[in-house]
Amino acid sequence: MKRAFLGEFEEVVLLTVAILDEGAYGVTVTQEIEQKTGRAVGFSTVHTTLQRLQEKGFLASEMGGATAERGGRRKRFFVVTAAGRKALAEVKQVREQLWNALPPQTLQLMGG
Amino acid sequence: MDAKNKTPGWANWLLKTFGHPDTQEEVTGDLLELYAHWVATVGERKARWRYSLNVLKLLRPFAVRNQSTDYSTPFFLSPAMIQNYVKIALRNLLRHKAYSLINIVGLALGMACSLLIGLWVYDELNYDRFLPYHAQIHYVRVNYSFRGNEIQTASATPGPLSEAITRDIPQVAAVTKLTWPSERLVHVGDRVAKEQGQYASVGFFDVFDLPAVSGNPRSALANLNQIVISQRLAEIYFPNSQAVGQSLQLDNNKRFVVGAVLKNLPPTSTLQFDWLVNFKAQEEEWQTQWGYNAVQTYLRLKPATTALQAEASMKGMFRRYATFNNNEHIVLQPITDLHLWGDYENGVAVGGQIEYVRIFGIVALFILLIACINFMNLSTARSAKRSREVGVRKVIGARRLALVGQFLSESTILSLLSAVIALVLVWLTLPAFNTLFDKQITLDFADPVRWIGITGLVLITGLLAGSYPALFLSGGQPARILQGLHFRFSNHRAGPAQLRQVLVVFQFALSTFLIVGMLVIGRQMSYLRTKHLGLDRGNVVYLNLEGQLNDYQKTEALRHELIQLPSVAGATTAAHLPLNIQSNTTDLHWSGQNEKQLVSVSAMSVGNDFIKTTGIKLLDGRDFRPNALADTACYLINEAAARLMGMNKPVGQHITFWFGKGPIIGLMKDFHLGSLREAIKPLVITYMPPSAQYLLIKPRAGQTAQALADLERLVNQFNGDYPFSYHFLDEAYQRLYHREQQVSVLINYFGILAILISCLGLFGLAAFSAEQRTKEIGIRKVLGASIGSLVALLSTDFLKLVLIAFILASPVAYYVMQQWLTGFAYRVELSWWVFVLAGGLAVGIALLTVSYQSIKTALMNPVKSLRSE
Repeated sequence: MKRAFLGEFEEVVLLTVAILDEGAYGVTVTQEIEQKTGRAVGFSTVHTTLQRLQEKGFLASEMGGATAERGGRRKRFFVVTAAGRKALAEVKQVREQLWNALPPQTLQLMGG
Repeated sequence: MDAKNKTPGWANWLLKTFGHPDTQEEVTGDLLELYAHWVATVGERKARWRYSLNVLKLLRPFAVRNQSTDYSTPFFLSPAMIQNYVKIALRNLLRHKAYSLINIVGLALGMACSLLIGLWVYDELNYDRFLPYHAQIHYVRVNYSFRGNEIQTASATPGPLSEAITRDIPQVAAVTKLTWPSERLVHVGDRVAKEQGQYASVGFFDVFDLPAVSGNPRSALANLNQIVISQRLAEIYFPNSQAVGQSLQLDNNKRFVVGAVLKNLPPTSTLQFDWLVNFKAQEEEWQTQWGYNAVQTYLRLKPATTALQAEASMKGMFRRYATFNNNEHIVLQPITDLHLWGDYENGVAVGGQIEYVRIFGIVALFILLIACINFMNLSTARSAKRSREVGVRKVIGARRLALVGQFLSESTILSLLSAVIALVLVWLTLPAFNTLFDKQITLDFADPVRWIGITGLVLITGLLAGSYPALFLSGGQPARILQGLHFRFSNHRAGPAQLRQVLVVFQFALSTFLIVGMLVIGRQMSYLRTKHLGLDRGNVVYLNLEGQLNDYQKTEALRHELIQLPSVAGATTAAHLPLNIQSNTTDLHWSGQNEKQLVSVSAMSVGNDFIKTTGIKLLDGRDFRPNALADTACYLINEAAARLMGMNKPVGQHITFWFGKGPIIGLMKDFHLGSLREAIKPLVITYMPPSAQYLLIKPRAGQTAQALADLERLVNQFNGDYPFSYHFLDEAYQRLYHREQQVSVLINYFGILAILISCLGLFGLAAFSAEQRTKEIGIRKVLGASIGSLVALLSTDFLKLVLIAFILASPVAYYVMQQWLTGFAYRVELSWWVFVLAGGLAVGIALLTVSYQSIKTALMNPVKSLRSE
């Protein structure tokens, strides 16, 4: 089955955008990832990944309103596209299949 | 919120300058927001640090790929585009016929020139490369050191050397000795003619593995009764039959059987012979002695040995066999260098033909460059006119590459057209060129090198000629181009007008340089032709003594009859032509000589009446007495020899020379013994009538024709088997300057051509500038300017450039010509008027070129030019 490749970090970013729903833009995505996963992510990495995901067609974006806090600059809001949702679903399905395939004793040893 | 002010300035600058323009706004915003967040959470210092770090990471090249545009542009080299370029180029060509003509004619002339010279240079560089094993074949030269630190390099070697090398030197695979090529009379049936050939030792075909048409050349050369001939000879003398096995008579007396027929040697072979006979068939006593430099020696090294190794093991070679000489050193010259590096100085090859190869190559490049500059100048001049086309193309969406492609293909099409014309020109001029240079160059298109060369020339010329318009015209902003601003104020770089000026200066500097070269070389050549050499050369006839006349008694009888004739003023015999004495010896001793130091002097044997016939001036003493055997140990010397020996009054003093100790009986005023390249060498003349090789005759003034007729009659009487041929001493002298003569002719043609091409360009430029300034001229005329002042106005711009060119070119030309002249021991002075004349010529020709346009414009009716506004 031909599938769009989704890197691990890309998956995290894509999921975060989905979680944030209407309010996903560079800053919120960065902060959300930091909070939820506890890993310190650079803004630049997030920004690049967002661009790449958009290029791949998993994300769409549009410019939103400006706030004084940002020196009068507008935000770019991201939303997950249908292709993005499909990709996420596929990743989830693959993971679940793999988990289900684990022999029970191994599952026990892993503390699952 | 003034967080922005505290963010690092350099990071902001970086982001602004290098950040991706599409996402810059939100990224800057996001970063500012984050900065505020970081200041609140981790403190200001860390926040600034994180901020900078993030900016830097964002700048990773290609971190964000370029967003693709929504519509595609055609690749600038796609077939459709190329088709389009060609179409536009042809339309442009046809629309501006005068302009195209100037361009094509200029380029074609330039290309024809460089093609011709390219062919010549290629030919010169390929000498002897056709030989199998050419990398291992070497020519043997010997360095002798003489008084002071002078080293003389002999191109002749003693006869026994080749056998000694075979015996002693392990690095050598094969070795052969050869006589110098000589013309001998060849008889087969009724066919008689002189043919050139050599005598060679049996190793010849081991060194030179030349292909045979029939027969076995090795066994033929080994057999003393057999002869090896060329295919050319076989076709002439045995046209209807197999040559091998037939008999052939050489020189009236010796008969040989043809043993093998060799393929003709190509013109690029240093060896040139039509017959080859075993060395032993003519070997003479002196050719077997170590004391005489008598033969040419070639050898082939074993694979994987170097010439240096072989030279090292040949050290002391002479000492082992010859007792007299202990300061010689054998040098091996690769056969592929033989043609190009003929001049040795201090024992090292310093130059020769290679200098002319370089000069011609540079001249060819110059001419091509001048032609390309024309093209560039005319295209930039016209660029303003084409700017609308460029602007529209850009607005429609042409990429810069597409425009570059368009201009380059236009110039390449022009250069292709020019190349076709140039090839025709080359084809037409090649026969004359071949005659001038003694070459047999053909436009042989089977040779891929020529195709590659010509294609390369077309491409390079096209790219070079089109480079500036392509890069300049394509670079502007469309809006500025359409407003006509791009060409008026080209913001920071030098505009096309300045570039044009620089190029015109460059062109005329090259032309001036060539004119100076023409004048100086021409003057030196006429100096060589007319300088008084210290003897009579214009009115002395000589002939080779051959056949029956090889006999001294017969020659003397002929000479005796000649001097009885009323048309003949004098006749003598000599072993060399007095203007080209090639014989050197170290065999001169005098009292008071420093015995350790060998000296090298020129030497020659003469017969009766030598001084009288040649017109050499005797400063003191007397000529040899006719038929006086007592004079065989008497010597004539020149002033240089007297200086060498430190004798103030040499006549009467005794020296020891070839024929033993004897008195100096006469002191000759110095005359030139060879080319004017060299200073006059010390000379000793001995009296030895039987060693004569040449008969020299001086006709009485005004009776040359009669004398020649008498001479022919008498010579035919004495030596009827040989066709009568004579030469003037002048001709033999001229042959010494063969190369200079060729350069002189070529430089003349090229100088004129360079000027012509430059003027062609100037003409185009003048037309352009006149056209551009029609309105200005119209206004000036209306306001009352005189025609003269207008012509001056239009011409001075160009004259200034030509003058600058002259000032720039003069010192360079002075230096280069001075260098060339130092090659001559006797030469003309580089006087100032040569430069003034060259400058005057350049200015004059430029003025003539420009004035046509200037006058035309100045005479124009202002009503016409001003009506439109």
